[in-house]
Amino acid sequence: MADTTQSDVVFRPKPSLPPPPNTVGVVGWLRKNLFGGPVDTILTIVGAWLIFTLFYSLYEYGIANAVWTANSYRECLDTVLPNGEKVGHNGACWAGVGVWMNQYIYGRYPDEEQWRIQLALALLVLWLLPFWLPKVEAKIQTGLSCVLTFPFLAAHLFLGGEASIFLMITSSIALALFIAVWLNVITSYAMNKSIGKVLVGVSGMADKDDRLHKYVLMAGFALLLVMSLIYVSSWDLPEVTTQAWGGLFLTLTISGIAIASALPSGVVLALGRRSKMPVIRVFCTVWIEMFRSVPLITILFMAVTMMPLFLPVALNPDKLVMVIVAVCIFASAYMAEIVRGGLQAISKGQYEAAQALGLNYWKMMTFIVMPQALKLMIPNIVGNFIGLLKDTTLVSIIGLYDILLMVKASGQDPNWLGLHSEPLLFAAGVFFIICFAMSKYSQHLERTIAGGYGRR
Amino acid sequence: MSMDTSTVDPTSGEYVASTMSDEVVIELVQVNKWYGEFHVLKDIALSVNKGERIVICGPSGSGKSTLIRCINRLEEHQAGDILVNGTALDTNVKNIDAIRRDVGMVFQSFNLFPHLTILENCTLAPIWVKGMPKAEAEKVAMQYLERVKIPEQAAKYPGQLSGGQQQRVAIARSLCMSPNIMLFDEPTSALDPEMISEVLDVMVGLAETGMTMLVVTHEMGFAKKVADRVIFMDQGEVVEQNTPDEFFNNPKSDRTKLFLSQILAH
Repeated sequence: MADTTQSDVVFRPKPSLPPPPNTVGVVGWLRKNLFGGPVDTILTIVGAWLIFTLFYSLYEYGIANAVWTANSYRECLDTVLPNGEKVGHNGACWAGVGVWMNQYIYGRYPDEEQWRIQLALALLVLWLLPFWLPKVEAKIQTGLSCVLTFPFLAAHLFLGGEASIFLMITSSIALALFIAVWLNVITSYAMNKSIGKVLVGVSGMADKDDRLHKYVLMAGFALLLVMSLIYVSSWDLPEVTTQAWGGLFLTLTISGIAIASALPSGVVLALGRRSKMPVIRVFCTVWIEMFRSVPLITILFMAVTMMPLFLPVALNPDKLVMVIVAVCIFASAYMAEIVRGGLQAISKGQYEAAQALGLNYWKMMTFIVMPQALKLMIPNIVGNFIGLLKDTTLVSIIGLYDILLMVKASGQDPNWLGLHSEPLLFAAGVFFIICFAMSKYSQHLERTIAGGYGRR
Repeated sequence: MSMDTSTVDPTSGEYVASTMSDEVVIELVQVNKWYGEFHVLKDIALSVNKGERIVICGPSGSGKSTLIRCINRLEEHQAGDILVNGTALDTNVKNIDAIRRDVGMVFQSFNLFPHLTILENCTLAPIWVKGMPKAEAEKVAMQYLERVKIPEQAAKYPGQLSGGQQQRVAIARSLCMSPNIMLFDEPTSALDPEMISEVLDVMVGLAETGMTMLVVTHEMGFAKKVADRVIFMDQGEVVEQNTPDEFFNNPKSDRTKLFLSQILAH
């Protein structure tokens, strides 16, 4: 037999050659995607021509021929272009949009009080900022405190006047929480410690047991609460009734509250629908099916025309409050089904492993099931939020001056009679920017969160 | 607590000395269970002593998985009594929680939590069920991850590990709750042949520490090496139970003989 251990045949791999020049780089990409054959080439040329004419006419209308300063729509139309012709309907009249801009954004909210809206917006942004600060812990508490209490603080700011005891207390709690969140941010960055640890350290109880620490924290927060209560009750803000609220501000208020409430209420309803307890399950199922099967506009009409008939007169429900409640109910029903879909994607093994480790129902849901389900649900949830934001324009039908009704109103202003397309384009632009930003953020969220799964 | 069995082929070699004591930790009396009309467990009577290692085998559908899943109430039995550590399993949630804290379980499909790192998988239950401080839970988890020989994977996610590694993590995760009984539901059935031995290694090591183990498996080598008792089930009944020696060399029932001839044929 031949000796096979000492081989005469030595394997030498062939050297790698570069690929043919037409298949890589810009040229390769163009050949593959745009000029793959005669049909492709023709389609590419026609498509390019279409895109060019569309964008050029948009440019002509919106920029080249546009009128930026004028005192009335007539003046806009009569403006003479460099070529001697009148603008007419060949150019946009952005002047009118500019004049009405304040109303588009704030509705009929008095000019000298608009700082309150800006302040609330700034507070909201600052409250959520710690989410993106890596050194700050307790992110869930930060988010929860914001979602649960910020609406009351904002309502107090927006409404002004003689605030009810309820608003007074809730907005003080909100303010105290906000301050606590930012004290925590400051100590986290200045001393690398959470505010709780700093407080315990200052009080000299660092070596005592956890219960004493809790008392120290509670005392600290109580002090903060009393101070903010005194401060909030000293506010002397002129009253601005909800009739004056409008524009983008109103749209964002309604949809913001609906969005913030949709996820928690949807989770509760979805869990309820899967519950083993018949009463809870039937209640949740009826709630979901009832409000999902009815158009939003019907629910809105019910809320503003019929509900006041059933409620005691003394309660005197505000139209806006009724509308917000209606939108929240509607949103909760839709979200519940999204959450239920997400829950069904979690395998039985995950539940069993959690149970076998001794986790009870709520801990299993909180730590094992919901985090996985929510990740799967992100695209649907954000899609739902975007839909909700756009749906809120329906409130214009029942006479709330949201951005869409404000846009219509500007075309009926004697000075700007007939100005319709430009404000609508502006509104479309605003909605596009907000919705596109939400969509992009959700994609970013999917990527960063999905990172945890690694290869699966 | 030595774990130096890595070089030993777990399916051969010395029999692991018995650690059985007289104290009864699991007691099943006339346990019956139905899935709808299907009678899946029929009059099961079983008593397990502390430190005893039981291997349960039988054809698929014989009720062996259902049996051990009844012990930590992943399945509910409809008639009879199950006592674990002296606590009766009934509808009382407190009893169920108490028993689950003391009984660890390892699944065929691992069931690690894919959104948590290996370390978080191991510390979650000690922190949230036992209220252990995070630092201590991590220390304990690292000890067990070292015992199953994958401490270096602690920061990874389950999806980045091989099947055998995942199953070893699942064992460590259960051990972190310091249970006194471990249930294994076909722990090696979903694994490639090469990975089976690394998991069995860990299980043999665990047996040496005196853990009470109920193992549903088809690994007869493991049964011969470790088991104090082999239970053979078919059609929801315990057909035969005996020491591995007697069971393999001198089976009584014709059903057992048929089963053994089939699985030992190759």
